[in-house]
Amino acid sequence: MKKYSAFYGVPYIIWLILFVIAPLVLIAYQSFFTIGGQMSWANYQTYFHSGTYLRMTLNSIWYAFVITLLTLVISYPTAYILNQTRHKQLWLLLIILPTWINLLLKAYAFIGIFSQNGAINHFLRFIGIGPQQLLFTNTSFVLVAAYIEIPFMILPIFNAIAELNPSLINASRDLGATNWQTFSKVIFPLTLNGVKTGIQTVFIPSLSLFMLTRLIGGNKVITLGTAIEQHFLVTQNWGMGSTIGVVLILAMVLIMFVTGERRKRGGDK
Amino acid sequence: MKMHGWHWRHLYLIFVFALLYAPIFYLLFYSFNQGTTMTHFIGFSWRHYAELFADTRMIQIVLDTLLIALLASLLATIIGTLGALVIYQVKRIWLKNSLLSLNNILMVSPDVIIGASFLIFFTFFGFKLGFNSVLLSHIAFSIPIVVLMILPRLNEMRQSLVDAAMDLGATNWQVLSRVVFPFISPGILAGYFMAFTYSLDDFAVTFFVTGNGFETLSVEIYARARQGISLEVNALSTLMFLFALILIAGYYLLTRYTTTKRRQRRYQLEAKIKP
Amino acid sequence: MANTIIKFNGVEKRYGDTVSLKKIDFELEQGKFYTLLGPSGCGKTTILRILAGFTDASAGTVTFKGKRINDLPANQRKINTVFQDYALFPHLNVYDNVAFGLVLKKTTKTVIKQKVSEALRLVRLSGYAEREINELSGGQQQRVAIARAIVNEPEVLLLDEPLSALDAKLRTAMQVELRQLQQRLGITFLFVTHDQGEALAMSDEIFVMNNGEILQQGSPVAIYDEPINHFVANFIGESNIVKGKMVADHQVEFVHQCFECVDAGMRPNEPVEVVLRPEDLDLTSVDQGNLVVTVDTQVFRGSIYGIMSHDHAGNHWLIHSVHQSTVGRQVGIYFEPEDIHVMRYGESEAEFDARLEQYEGEADEKI
Repeated sequence: MKKYSAFYGVPYIIWLILFVIAPLVLIAYQSFFTIGGQMSWANYQTYFHSGTYLRMTLNSIWYAFVITLLTLVISYPTAYILNQTRHKQLWLLLIILPTWINLLLKAYAFIGIFSQNGAINHFLRFIGIGPQQLLFTNTSFVLVAAYIEIPFMILPIFNAIAELNPSLINASRDLGATNWQTFSKVIFPLTLNGVKTGIQTVFIPSLSLFMLTRLIGGNKVITLGTAIEQHFLVTQNWGMGSTIGVVLILAMVLIMFVTGERRKRGGDK
Repeated sequence: MKMHGWHWRHLYLIFVFALLYAPIFYLLFYSFNQGTTMTHFIGFSWRHYAELFADTRMIQIVLDTLLIALLASLLATIIGTLGALVIYQVKRIWLKNSLLSLNNILMVSPDVIIGASFLIFFTFFGFKLGFNSVLLSHIAFSIPIVVLMILPRLNEMRQSLVDAAMDLGATNWQVLSRVVFPFISPGILAGYFMAFTYSLDDFAVTFFVTGNGFETLSVEIYARARQGISLEVNALSTLMFLFALILIAGYYLLTRYTTTKRRQRRYQLEAKIKP
Repeated sequence: MANTIIKFNGVEKRYGDTVSLKKIDFELEQGKFYTLLGPSGCGKTTILRILAGFTDASAGTVTFKGKRINDLPANQRKINTVFQDYALFPHLNVYDNVAFGLVLKKTTKTVIKQKVSEALRLVRLSGYAEREINELSGGQQQRVAIARAIVNEPEVLLLDEPLSALDAKLRTAMQVELRQLQQRLGITFLFVTHDQGEALAMSDEIFVMNNGEILQQGSPVAIYDEPINHFVANFIGESNIVKGKMVADHQVEFVHQCFECVDAGMRPNEPVEVVLRPEDLDLTSVDQGNLVVTVDTQVFRGSIYGIMSHDHAGNHWLIHSVHQSTVGRQVGIYFEPEDIHVMRYGESEAEFDARLEQYEGEADEKI
């Protein structure tokens, strides 16, 4: 079989070169070009010296953090309880089902729900608070983003809990641990990898949800993704857009590195 | 105490499910609205469905989207299967890990980065944006998930199965076609399925590389949603929801099919043996 | 040997710097049951894989019926393998698994059908053809694996620890069946195991291996009675091994006493190791014994008692006895001169054979 691998691997290798390596190289290359076409460090200088870009980056990271935290807080208990139900695979399927609805349709639904006369405002009027401006606020952006990401957080945590050897829990009880001690000293540490995978799959996309900032956030929230989209498709400043892209890639590598590193250390313990 | 815990737990689950499904059903519900807003339900009507089916532009877009998804997932599955075989056969650990890391780059990259870098890529090589650039992009970002669905199956496959096939006289191609492919076929099926949904769901990458002449459903919905509420979109979401349900049911039945077939055969066999 | 079928000549296997097989030479004759016996990692499976064609030898030649087959791929060798994990194809049923090799050879359907049912009958699985693999027990899967191999009518069948996954009772039954099957088919079996009981029960000839070398080759009885060194004596059966000195031919000294023995051909006063099998030691009274020992522990093993004891020099002695003894009691142990087996340090199998021939020749002359 060895002799043939070179032959049938060709399409895959071509893909790796053309669509993985080349685009990365090109985006890095493009980031050195100013809008006038000169090659220089100008874009990076602008990025790191203008308060706007740095503030936007911090803002973006902050929102991604809040979205991830909110998602985690809702998802962990869900994954945990799901694992104890009888037809857990069926329930899990029902959790995954909403991810099958196009992201934009879900965002579109919230335009209706959060609108001036939408369901939430109906409810607020009913309990006497009165209608509020919901759409085009930072809160609505965070809520919708969290809503969209929840299944992606539940799935890895659910799998981590499902893989847990039940005799470990029995062993912990046998050794005298209370339910809470079993959870905090055995279950949670052992499912931490699932949590980390969940954080990875939620945090990184949350940095770049430009369609939500446009449709729900009303352009008030500018994330790194929004800025990239803006530079590429609106102002046509590809160089600056690529620079932000490179920063986003570096942030991503950093996150992968940090969560990966901890995993190793956790394994040593 | 136990009953109490049970109660709260299930209440929480119900809450989460309600949260997940409320927006979807909200969307579906208003597709039957006689009025034109997503806020006041006036009465039941099929009018938005009628509008949808009369909208030839929309129907063309739906067909294009399906065509892209079918072609992209098929090609991605073929290339991804070959890729999984390549990674599986690499023995040197550092090379295997490097290939895996490269494979996963597109999995972890934000859509915006994929879209932007593909846009630069196509422009750099003077590739015209449109159907072809969208198709190529969809193939490209679906390949890694196919690889990731197949690799675990390959790793589960014991080396002795390959040895046994060789031992019984199989050539390299026969080993692949008669032992390896049947063994990893659930992974290939899952990979195809995932690639299909990735393609159907994608918005950001398509948005970057689509140019002006060609549109997929996501891009069209984005454009319409920016203009405000149009219950035609709700009608479309209802149909897409049904489509997703049918797909899942189909996939579920397909994966069950072989086992049931075997089970049936066994029952027949036992019936034959028993007097 | 006219009917030699397999010959290994100076076969070596190296992975980088580690040598897993050192210059292996052996011959297999047609129609015999051979066993490669050794602890895990001794290289026995490597020999099997080289023979089957799954790995290449780093040096040396492998010949099959006089033809060099080093470069012949596995799928063209008239050798089939029964794998340790059976390696049955999970997506095929019993019939299709057994028919696999025949289908690849484009055999006609009727012939396949007839051969598969014959093979299934041989392994006593007629009527299981339509079963799925995961519906079978371990023992049944084992037989399917054998049927799948023998249906191709190989001239040599390789068996890689095929019984190790079975429970003890089934394993014993399968040993008998395998032996009968080999005799019925009349083909060469090369069986790999780490279980000495299995090797002794089934084989015509055993190769004892350790650290990538064949230490000793011979019939089960020869290997059991005349192990060549400490490792073989310890690995095959249970042994009492004590240090001694060869005073002269037929005279060996151990535990400060001189005993008559049947071994000869060594240097005077050469340091040696002495082997006494526990079943050759008889419990007797202190004054009638060759040696006096104190009983330490006693274990009931069903048909016999295993009695652990020690002598005044601190050597441990295991005695198999049908009678029980009492812990702490002094007893005598008695053995005959032919029960004593003397081993020289570092003697190879060739040297051992040469010495044996020499002193047996001398003994014949005297008569």
